[in-house]
Amino acid sequence: MSRSAILERVRRCGTGTSVPELPQKLPEFPCYQDAAAQFQSALQAAGGTFLDARSAGTLGSALERVLQETGVHEIYWDGHHVFEKHAISYTLRDPQAFSQSRLLHSFHYRGSLQFPLLLNSRPYQLQHLAKISLAVSSAEYGVAETGTVVHEVRPGSGRLLTALPAAHVVLLNDSDLLMNHADLFPVLSPGSTGSMTTLITGPSRTADVEKTLVMGVHGPQRFYVILMKSDQAEKRHTPP
Amino acid sequence: MRKNQAGMIKISPHTGPALANATLQANLKNTVGKVLHVHQLAVSEVANWQELRCHAEQVKAHTLARLHFYLQELEKQIKGQGGKVVWADNAQDALDFVVELAHQREIRRLVKSKSMLSEEIGLNEALERERIETVETDLGEFIVQLAGEPPFHITAPALHKSRREIAQLFSQKLGMEPSEDVQQITATARTLLREHFLAARLGITGANFAVAETGTIVVVENEGNARLCLSVPETHVVLVGIEKVIPRMADLAVFLKLLTRSATGQRITSYVNLINAGRREREADGPHEFYVVLVDNGRSRLLVDPVMRQTLHCIRCGACLNVCPVYQKIGGHAYQSAYPGPIGAILTPQLTSIESAPEHPFASSLCGACAEVCPVRIPIPHILLRLRAQAQRAKNGKAARVPAEKWAFQLWAWSMSSPTRYSRMEALLRFLQKLFGRDQGLRLPFPPFSQWLRRRELPALAPQSFRQIYRNRKVML
Ligand code: SF4
Repeated sequence: MSRSAILERVRRCGTGTSVPELPQKLPEFPCYQDAAAQFQSALQAAGGTFLDARSAGTLGSALERVLQETGVHEIYWDGHHVFEKHAISYTLRDPQAFSQSRLLHSFHYRGSLQFPLLLNSRPYQLQHLAKISLAVSSAEYGVAETGTVVHEVRPGSGRLLTALPAAHVVLLNDSDLLMNHADLFPVLSPGSTGSMTTLITGPSRTADVEKTLVMGVHGPQRFYVILMKSDQAEKRHTPP
Repeated sequence: MRKNQAGMIKISPHTGPALANATLQANLKNTVGKVLHVHQLAVSEVANWQELRCHAEQVKAHTLARLHFYLQELEKQIKGQGGKVVWADNAQDALDFVVELAHQREIRRLVKSKSMLSEEIGLNEALERERIETVETDLGEFIVQLAGEPPFHITAPALHKSRREIAQLFSQKLGMEPSEDVQQITATARTLLREHFLAARLGITGANFAVAETGTIVVVENEGNARLCLSVPETHVVLVGIEKVIPRMADLAVFLKLLTRSATGQRITSYVNLINAGRREREADGPHEFYVVLVDNGRSRLLVDPVMRQTLHCIRCGACLNVCPVYQKIGGHAYQSAYPGPIGAILTPQLTSIESAPEHPFASSLCGACAEVCPVRIPIPHILLRLRAQAQRAKNGKAARVPAEKWAFQLWAWSMSSPTRYSRMEALLRFLQKLFGRDQGLRLPFPPFSQWLRRRELPALAPQSFRQIYRNRKVML
């Protein structure tokens, strides 16, 4: 058995030497007077776009700007929790919309976005996912130090909706904005909510050819973070 | 590891051709220069860089001393969340597992993201022998795979290729319109690989860290290909070297900061994937099966000695390659191993044996740049010296030097320890240079020097020494 052989060998080698202590404190990480400003500059340095929607009612115009820049009419939403967390109002066209393994989406002709959103749904299929241009998800946390957002897979949503499209928009509440990674990792408990957690910073990129930077290799080419006030509420409509 | 017929991994036959290859030298100079520049910027931005390095070193030292405990903890956590843990004593065990799994699932083609460990164990070759195609999905890896070459660098596999060469390759192998536009090259690869992703049923990735406390596999990347490899297929296999385990989630803050800045000069990479399991019951996608293969393949042998053990601290950032004057000249392929550069020089002989890689510890000028840049403070030059002694012992049966070498050093010490003797020696060498020298440098065509100089070049001595010039100037004044 490999297992016992390896463990036995490892144990034998390890004994007899003194065991250095595990350091109890993390080294210092930078703090900022204005976390949002640092977040913005770090995100931009990583090739992402920062949109400020902290004043009430500005989420709509922020999203409209994204729709215009990307030339897209349809938004795919990472799941029910996005609406809950950011108090986004919607009406359901489709009674099955929130059932498992369905993709939630809304249409926006001529780039104009209206609240409440009119939500449709369609079956969750790989071939269809690959054709989606724009996905919107919600961040568990943001990290000012590096302009990073934390995406967690949740019940009812998956890994691919944010990984495949050409553009990805993340909504981040300002109360979830942390200073640095030393604030993040001790509170992160991956596995407790979903099977996978991803730290995302800017668009997908490569520098594999002559160290020349290119955005959008396998993942999104455009990446937006919209910062919101956590108590901000678009007027909520109860689903019919 | 690319052994020759005698079962040896040799560097010397490959250095000459690499040095004579003008294209390679130009490409290396161009790309390594860029890498060094961004690295410098990223590190100088961090005020307590040294403190971070010490922290990481301490965590690694602790973990390796208690590795049996943390490995079991990791296993427990992964299993508790529904993943499967496979232990592989050596390369063959790991290969057998993957091959059998692919056969069982009737898989003929699989997608893979960057994994140094897979290069180390020769995964692609083993799968090929079983007629299973491996699609490398990292752009750099994809390029070198198309070219039929091994990776050139730990974090930048196609560092040695110019855009012109890549454009030619793409038009030859993929029938793409020849274009040197990097955007175009990338777009072609994206389209092609997308198809492979969507059809893939088995995805293989490596891991940068494995967190024992939570059972989390950490995969750091920029392109988003690893993310697809571990999301689309119904089976995800992670290959993890046993030294990759770290005890706590919190320490990732430090390790990530060190890794990404050292590797690519980024504050953080585009994606850091933390994977705890395959698809959970109410999740919309993700693999149904999640296997973590813990590979030893010679690593546990390194634990015996606390000095040599530090080799296992390595987080594969590749920074030591970039600063190494030897790597900068001979490039990655000359090392004939998955691990080139200074880390390869110490890792290759230890993972195999000093007898099979006796040249590796000598492929260094001992300048110490690697140890200075290493984010986890591996004393590479020190380990190199220990390995040199081992290599010597393996060859001569004893670590002692041959008499001629001993005398040469005594002579050196004698002449360096007095100004008069030094200038006499200098005069003698200058005379010899006149006698035998050609334009490029000092030649000493008699034993024992001729033997020593067979693979070395001495720079030419200046026609006048500093003292002479100084004296003459004074007269002039
Ligand atoms: S030895 Fe140090 S510098 Fe070299 S790859 Fe490993 S961690 Fe990086």
